[in-house]
Amino acid sequence: MNSLRVISYTVALLLLVPLVVLLYYGLGPFRSSAGLTTGIFRSIELSIVSSAIAAAVDFALFTPLSYYLARSQDPVVESLVDIPVGIPHPIVGVALLILDSPLTPTGQFLLYLGINFFNTILGLVFALVIMSAPIYVKSMQPYFESRDPAAEDFAMGLGASRLRSLYSVVLPDSTRGIVSASLIAMSRALGEFGSVSIIAFYVLQAPFYGVSPASVTIFQLYSGAMPGGIDAAVTASAAMILVALPITLAGHLVQRRGRV
Amino acid sequence: MIDAVVRAHVGAFKISADIEGEGVTCVAGTNGAGKTSLMKALAGFVQLDEGHVRVGGVDVGRLPIEKRGIVLVTPGSFFPHLDVKSHIKWGARLKGETLSEEQTAKVSKDLGIDFEGPVRNLSLGMRERVSLATALLAKPRAVLVDEVFSSLHDREAFVKIYGGLAKASGVELIFTSQDEADGKLADRMYVMREGTASLNGS
Repeated sequence: MNSLRVISYTVALLLLVPLVVLLYYGLGPFRSSAGLTTGIFRSIELSIVSSAIAAAVDFALFTPLSYYLARSQDPVVESLVDIPVGIPHPIVGVALLILDSPLTPTGQFLLYLGINFFNTILGLVFALVIMSAPIYVKSMQPYFESRDPAAEDFAMGLGASRLRSLYSVVLPDSTRGIVSASLIAMSRALGEFGSVSIIAFYVLQAPFYGVSPASVTIFQLYSGAMPGGIDAAVTASAAMILVALPITLAGHLVQRRGRV
Repeated sequence: MIDAVVRAHVGAFKISADIEGEGVTCVAGTNGAGKTSLMKALAGFVQLDEGHVRVGGVDVGRLPIEKRGIVLVTPGSFFPHLDVKSHIKWGARLKGETLSEEQTAKVSKDLGIDFEGPVRNLSLGMRERVSLATALLAKPRAVLVDEVFSSLHDREAFVKIYGGLAKASGVELIFTSQDEADGKLADRMYVMREGTASLNGS
């Protein structure tokens, strides 16, 4: 067991080596004021706000689905939810673009309704929901599965439908699972780059007019599209990690504490 | 009046029971005899291969679980986030019925519920009293009590009181026990051995 533990710790830490190096250089030798401008902080702010909204949407729409999967083991729905995980993320961005393009009937219809994904907060959040919802479900489903179904069975015997039982019996007693899954989904959304770089390279709406998501801004700094050079990219990345890490850690801590 | 013919299986384990009667029924048997599986089959959580479940002349076996009017009470049958008072009224409220203070006070007193506060803070025995009161006050067709009475300190007296309340409300009561001597607390007893129930163990 001990050697297994050593191996496990070693490879887990190996995953973190690049981040530690980045944090060291970003906050130390390479620290650049161009990586800590108001513009960068606005980008991080946009990422946090849009990811939090995406996590809230995940909770509202995908909690019943997670519960359904936990109690019925429906392989069809389970595979459907998993599909976005398996495709390259930019494809999701392109798909959203086509869905809402003035060149397609679906896009014409959506635009007629005033629904526009391209460079809007709505499009950004939609992409983040698609990318984070499977993570939310993967965290929520085992939580529900680990619950003793006795209370739900009792509620159903008393006359409650499955859905009623979910809202009246399961959810009030699942705060920890919901908070944990939402934080994990939010941290997944914070890290999204591929899809948002296509559908919402920047958003053209108040209060974030002209602001790009943090991952896109960092890419622009790195590629030279924004002034500041590699030092600024490294510094901004370190700042982003410092913001995102506590959210991820909190999600996992809440989950662990919930295990009895 | 319960009239149930149960042929079901849980994995490779087969359940076979013909249950008929009115009032209080005891199903006795050792661990692994199939008591819990039988209760689950009657409540609709285990599908029947063959047979039927009729209560009060209604073929409830064909109905979805929430429409059967059969409440299964196990040690896990409680809602931890509710306080005792709202817990007791939960099932009745779900049906749109309003219970008077006298009704809840009487059942609470008879079942020895003299405590308040969140159900999550209660001991096992106290929780079970609350669950049993909740089941009864919902006025279902039948209450099935699985492995619950055995953890009450005043078990015999309690079963008699609970059975009396159930009869007074026209609710069928089936309870399981590991001890065949508990048959004396019921109007009839079935003994389960290796998945098969027989009247008085004959």
